[in-house]
Amino acid sequence: MRTILVVDDSPTIRKMVRAALGGLQDVAFVEAGTGLQAIETLAMHPVRMVVLDLNMPDMHGLDVLKFLRSHSQYRALPVMVLTTRGDESSREEVLEAGATSYMTKPFSPNFLVSSVRELLDTTPDSSR
Amino acid sequence: MTAPDPRFESSFMDDYFAEADEHLLAIRRCLLMLDGVERPDPSSALLEELFRSCHSLKGISAMVELHEAEVLAHHMESCLRAVRQGETALDTANLETLLAGANALEAVIVARREGQPLPAGEQVIAGLRGMASTQVDDKRFPSSESAPVRSVRSWKVRFVPSPELVGRGIKVDTIRARLLEIGKIVSVAPEVLASGGIAFEFKLETDNEASLAASKGDGVSYEPFSPAEAALVPGIAAGMDLPSGPRAWEVTSAAPGNFVRVDLARLDDLMRLAGDLVVTRSRLEDTLRRAERQMPSREFRLLQEHDLLMERQLRDLREGIMRVRLVPVGEVFRRMPFVVRDLARDIGKRVTLEITGQSTEIDKFLIERMMDPILHLVRNAVGHGIETVDRRVAAGKPPDGTIRLSASTVGESVVIEIADDGAGIDLAAVARRSPKGVHVEDGTVDPRLLLDVICESGFSTRDEADRISGRGVGMAVVRSTVEELGGTLEVDTEPGRGTRFAIMLPLTLAIIDAIIAHVGDQTFAVPQSAVQEVIEVDPDKLRPLEQNELMTHRGRALPVVRLARLFHLEAAPRPRLHAIVVGTGLSAVGLVVDRVAGHREIVVKSIADPLIHVAGVSGATELGDGRLVLILDVGAMSRGVRERPRVGERSA
Repeated sequence: MRTILVVDDSPTIRKMVRAALGGLQDVAFVEAGTGLQAIETLAMHPVRMVVLDLNMPDMHGLDVLKFLRSHSQYRALPVMVLTTRGDESSREEVLEAGATSYMTKPFSPNFLVSSVRELLDTTPDSSR
Repeated sequence: MTAPDPRFESSFMDDYFAEADEHLLAIRRCLLMLDGVERPDPSSALLEELFRSCHSLKGISAMVELHEAEVLAHHMESCLRAVRQGETALDTANLETLLAGANALEAVIVARREGQPLPAGEQVIAGLRGMASTQVDDKRFPSSESAPVRSVRSWKVRFVPSPELVGRGIKVDTIRARLLEIGKIVSVAPEVLASGGIAFEFKLETDNEASLAASKGDGVSYEPFSPAEAALVPGIAAGMDLPSGPRAWEVTSAAPGNFVRVDLARLDDLMRLAGDLVVTRSRLEDTLRRAERQMPSREFRLLQEHDLLMERQLRDLREGIMRVRLVPVGEVFRRMPFVVRDLARDIGKRVTLEITGQSTEIDKFLIERMMDPILHLVRNAVGHGIETVDRRVAAGKPPDGTIRLSASTVGESVVIEIADDGAGIDLAAVARRSPKGVHVEDGTVDPRLLLDVICESGFSTRDEADRISGRGVGMAVVRSTVEELGGTLEVDTEPGRGTRFAIMLPLTLAIIDAIIAHVGDQTFAVPQSAVQEVIEVDPDKLRPLEQNELMTHRGRALPVVRLARLFHLEAAPRPRLHAIVVGTGLSAVGLVVDRVAGHREIVVKSIADPLIHVAGVSGATELGDGRLVLILDVGAMSRGVRERPRVGERSA
C-alpha cells in the first residue's frame, strides 16, 4: 500500500487530487491543509510521495520543501509541487529547492495521474 | 497539454462555491478592517491574508475553469503585491478599487452558480490594472509595526506531536490556534529531533503565561527567552496580529476545523423523521394505557419504563438534531458593516455599527428568512433614524450616529435588536396616517398601535423610501415574516433620542411540549412554556366586566376568555370548568376550557394557507388519532383580552 500525502490549503483541490489519483493501484491518501500539518503528518505516517501546494497560510510550500530536503530521512522523498498558473515562484526556483517534479494548476486529471504514476515507478521507496 | 477535463471539475462545483464563499468573506473582512487604518503598513498581516485569499481564489477558480474569476483574482493579487512591496499606497481610492474587484468577483461566482450569463468585468479590471501600476512618489514607509511597543514577554514554545496526542484531537494546528489566542506568534520552525521525530518551535509573545502552562500536558513545553536571540535563529515568519480595541471582530482561527458540510434538505428530512417518531411514540403510549387492564402488572410496568426511556431518548435526539441546525447569528450580522458603511457614505451621514452577540445560535432556516428583514431595519436606521451630522451636532449629539445590532437568548427565544440613537420615528407623519392617533390616555405612545401604523403597506415617512429600502421589503413584510416564523416584533421610540426594534424568535422549531385541552368537541394545544398553572373554575364565580369576564385568583382579578365563546364552539354547560393561566402579571389571562387532558409533546405544523388563517391560532398538530388539533397563539389571546376581542373571527 502506497500512501500519498496531499497538501493544499484548499479542500476543493485536495478533493480533486484524490479523485484524480484514486484510480491508481494500491494507493492510500493522507491530507494536510497547512505546511505545519504536512510536516506533522509526515512524522507520523510512512509516506510514499507528497503532492505539495506552495501557497499555504502558516508555512510556504517552498519552505516545507527546503526543510524536507535538509534532513536525511526526507531527502529522497518524492515531492510533486503544485504551482498556480502565473505564480511568482519560477520553475527553476521550485526545482532548485528540491522538487522532484512540478505541475501547474489547473491540471488535467489524466495528466496528473500519468505524472504521479511515472514518479512512483521511477523513484525508490524511501518510506519505512 | 494540460487542458483540464470539463466533466471532471464540474462535479466539484459545490465544493468550489463553498470555498469561494469563504475566501470572499475573508477578502471583504480584511478590506473593511483596512478601511479604518490611516496608512496600512505594507507588512501588515491583514494585507498578507488579503493577498493569500485572492491567490487561493485564483487557484481554485483556475481549477474549475472559471476564467473570469481567475482573471479578476489575478489582478487583485497584482495590486496587493504592489502594495506589499511598497510600490502602491492603499488610500481610499485604491481601497474602493479593490472593493469593486471583490464585488465583481462575487458577481461572477454567483452568476455561475445560478446559471446566469457572467457579468463583464473590463471596467473593474481596468481599474485594478491602473492601481497596480501607479507608483508612489514617497517610498519611505514605516519599517516597524505601527502598533505601540508593548512590554510583553517572549517565549520559546516547543510542541512535539505524537499519535497519542492526535488521538486526543491535538495537532500542531490546534496548538498554533491556542497560541494565536493568547499572544502573537513571531515565528515557527519545524525541526527534526535526534530520535528522528519532529518538533515545532514557536516564538511567542504573550503576557498570559497561565494559559501557556495549561497546555503542558498536551505535548507542549516552553521557556522564556530574550528577543536578542531571535535575530540568530532563522525561522519562518508566521505572525497574525489580532486587532485590539472594542470594535475588534471575532477572528476565526486558521486551523481547519473538524466540520462536515451538510445539505439543509437532509436536516429537514431528519427533523421530519424525528417528528414522526414523536407521534408514533405518543400512539404507543395511548395503546399502552388502554392495554393496562389486560396485562399482568409487572409486564405493564416494564413496558412503561421502556416507553419513558424512549421518550427521554427521543427528546435527546430531537435536541441533537435541532442543535445541528443552529448556526451563529454572526453569519448574517457580518454583512451589516458593509451595508451601513456604503449606505451612510451614499447619503452623507456618519454612522458607527456596534454588534454584540454574534455567537448567539439560531436555527439556520430562521436566520435565512430573517436576513432581508434585518437588512431592511438596519437600512431604515441609517436612512431614517440617524440624523445628518449637522442636525446631530445642533442637537448636542456626537456627529457619528450609533446603531446597535445585538442578539441574545432569553429563555426559549432569540432576541435580535436593532437600536439607533437617532431622531426617533417621525410621529407627526404617523399621526397624519392614523387620525385616531397612537397615544394612550397618559400621553405616551402605545408601541403596539405605533407598530400597526408603520407596518401598514404604503406607509413611509419620506420620499426617499425606495432608495433607502433597496429591494422593496417594507415594514409590513418585516412583521409578517417575523410572525410567520412564530416570532414577534416590537418597537420602542423616543423623539430625539432614538428607536429600538426587537425581534423575538422561537429558539427551536417544530416540536414543543403542550397542554392538551378540550372545548366542546374541538381539541386545543397550549404551548407549555406559556402556561403558568391550570386551575378549576366555578362558572358562577365569573364576573362580567365590559366585554370580558373576571375571576378572583390568588387575591387578584384575572381576566378570563371562554374559548368556546371565542371560537364559536358548541359547549354544553358544565358545573365545573378548567382555566389554563397563561402569561404573567398584568398580562395574565385564564383560558377557560371544558377539560384539560394532560400534556404531550406535539409536532408543530404551521397553518400554511393564509386564507384560512384564524386569529388566535398559531399552528396545528395531530395527536396520533388523525384529528387536527389547533395550537393557540397565547400572545394573541392576552392581547385580545385587552383590545376589542376580535380574536376568533376569520380575517380576510
